[in-house]
Amino acid sequence: MEEHQQTVLDGIDPEITERLVSRRDAIRRGAAASSRFAAGIAMASVPVALAALAKESFAQTPADIVDVLKFAFILENLENEFYRAVLGTSAVAAQNNAFAPVRALIPDAAKQAIQQIQKHEQQHVDFLKAVIPQFGGTVVTITANDFDFTGGNGTGAGPFIRATTELDFLLLATQAFEDTGVRAYKGQAGRLLINGNDNADVALESALRIHSVEARHAAKIRRIRRARNPADTSLRFSGYVRGGGIAAAGAGNIANPPAEVVAALNLIYGGATPESNTQHVVFNGTSAVMIDAATLTGLDVIDATERTAAATQAFDEPLTKDEVINIVKNFIKDDPARGLP
Amino acid sequence: METREEPGRGEPLVIARAGDLMFASTRRRFVQRLLAGGAVMMLPSVFSACDGSDDGNDNPLGPGTIPGPVTGVSFDLRSDVGIFRLVHTLEQLEGAFYTAVVASSTFASFSAEEKELFVDLRNTEIIHREFLRTALGSQAVPDIRGSIDTNVLSTILSSRTNIVNTARTFEHIGVAGLNGAGKYLQDARNLLLAGKFASVEARHAAALRDISPPAGQNANTAFAGDDIIDANGRDVKLEAGAVLTRVAATGLLRSGTLASPAITAAPTAAQGVPSADFFPANP
Repeated sequence: MEEHQQTVLDGIDPEITERLVSRRDAIRRGAAASSRFAAGIAMASVPVALAALAKESFAQTPADIVDVLKFAFILENLENEFYRAVLGTSAVAAQNNAFAPVRALIPDAAKQAIQQIQKHEQQHVDFLKAVIPQFGGTVVTITANDFDFTGGNGTGAGPFIRATTELDFLLLATQAFEDTGVRAYKGQAGRLLINGNDNADVALESALRIHSVEARHAAKIRRIRRARNPADTSLRFSGYVRGGGIAAAGAGNIANPPAEVVAALNLIYGGATPESNTQHVVFNGTSAVMIDAATLTGLDVIDATERTAAATQAFDEPLTKDEVINIVKNFIKDDPARGLP
Repeated sequence: METREEPGRGEPLVIARAGDLMFASTRRRFVQRLLAGGAVMMLPSVFSACDGSDDGNDNPLGPGTIPGPVTGVSFDLRSDVGIFRLVHTLEQLEGAFYTAVVASSTFASFSAEEKELFVDLRNTEIIHREFLRTALGSQAVPDIRGSIDTNVLSTILSSRTNIVNTARTFEHIGVAGLNGAGKYLQDARNLLLAGKFASVEARHAAALRDISPPAGQNANTAFAGDDIIDANGRDVKLEAGAVLTRVAATGLLRSGTLASPAITAAPTAAQGVPSADFFPANP
């Protein structure tokens, strides 16, 4: 068994650790502590106490729900308007015109897939728009004019401009948007976990169900890209994300990718918990343990040279909200009134 | 293959490996188990695949000795551990299934693309299985490979269509089950872990529908077809009881492997309340 108890400390991200510390201070000041904290502290068992604190410190508030849903709404609009521009169905003529060259290059089969994906993004936008007010939130107004799909923050000439003229570049950008969506939802799910709050459960379940649809989209685009580049085994027929950073993007068929695009892909498949990560925390009811999926026993049937790659593929990883904002900020024109970035 | 009636249960006891009963020790175990209340099941294709050898290396279900059948597996869903035990059961079934697929003679006729896909599927499910076994420790579900109905398995393995259809079913049960279970988890780290599994299962599900769409589905949109995505753009979802019903319907798990009822305690109201399922007859 490859359990590393010590990583109870290492495995919790810094933000949570900060909250642990503040929670600990609260306890020290005499705030209510559950018997579990008290027992853990009394035994001077640091891991047990920390684990118990971590569990209770994750408590979220209903405000988190609205924040997560509004964040998702902006990202879904970004995706939806991107696909509408690609397909030529944007309400803004300039967006349609920008993608006209690449649109003419999209084979019909891929176009049908993109239309299906766009339909889902529109459904996600509409769903979130309907749901946010039910949680007391206000839906911000977003139009196609708010986006710059070249990643130029309004210049229309950002590093992703080749997506408007090159099919492989467009498909790479599409995959990157979808994988960012998967990672963004995964990173936010914990903020929708409010024990004993049925409304939060509803939001969480819908978010999880949207999250897996985004993963389907990403897998399909990866398969389309692999079919166009059969030798590039970093693009799996299984639709998996293999490895992390630029290697996980499967950008090998993009000639001379701009440095800014490489940097963006390193963010999209990297981050504090990069896609190459093989170590995952689980709370088993008593303590949090970190387990390395690459060195488990019982993997005999998997070729030894494949185990690490397989372990990276077997788990998709989250992005934090800040990481997502850092990725998408240049695709969304600056507008403080809109709230993001 | 011989069949005998198992005393007290009325279900036929299948003796997989005729040669086993040539060994006094096996006969003894056999009789002892019968007397102990009928937890015995012997597997037909273990016989054919292993030809009486005990090392199990030729066994389609994987290397090493396949342990005896497991019975009475149950789930108390009032804790994250209980929920992950159910996931562990699914991952075990998937891991055993894909291991058998890759080892099957039918697999040899797969295209290079399909071979890569199924080896990836196998590797992932084995890693999920072993990860959860490690994570759950003493509460892990015992190795259930010996509880797989190898008659049913052999039938599935006999054709590419059956293999792909079964794989699609499993992956969709996996996605739907995880999507339904998330709200009952109580610890955010465990929810994150479930999310890490779920999107990978969704990638599988999409890839399998892409190579083999269900009847009537557009091949270009089947990866996320209108039959599996609802009008709000949301994926399949099942409550735990429905997950087990779907698993049972595959016929791969011998009756008795799971306790009846398998779910001994549902999630509490504080964990969450059930919601409507969304799952087509043929995902």
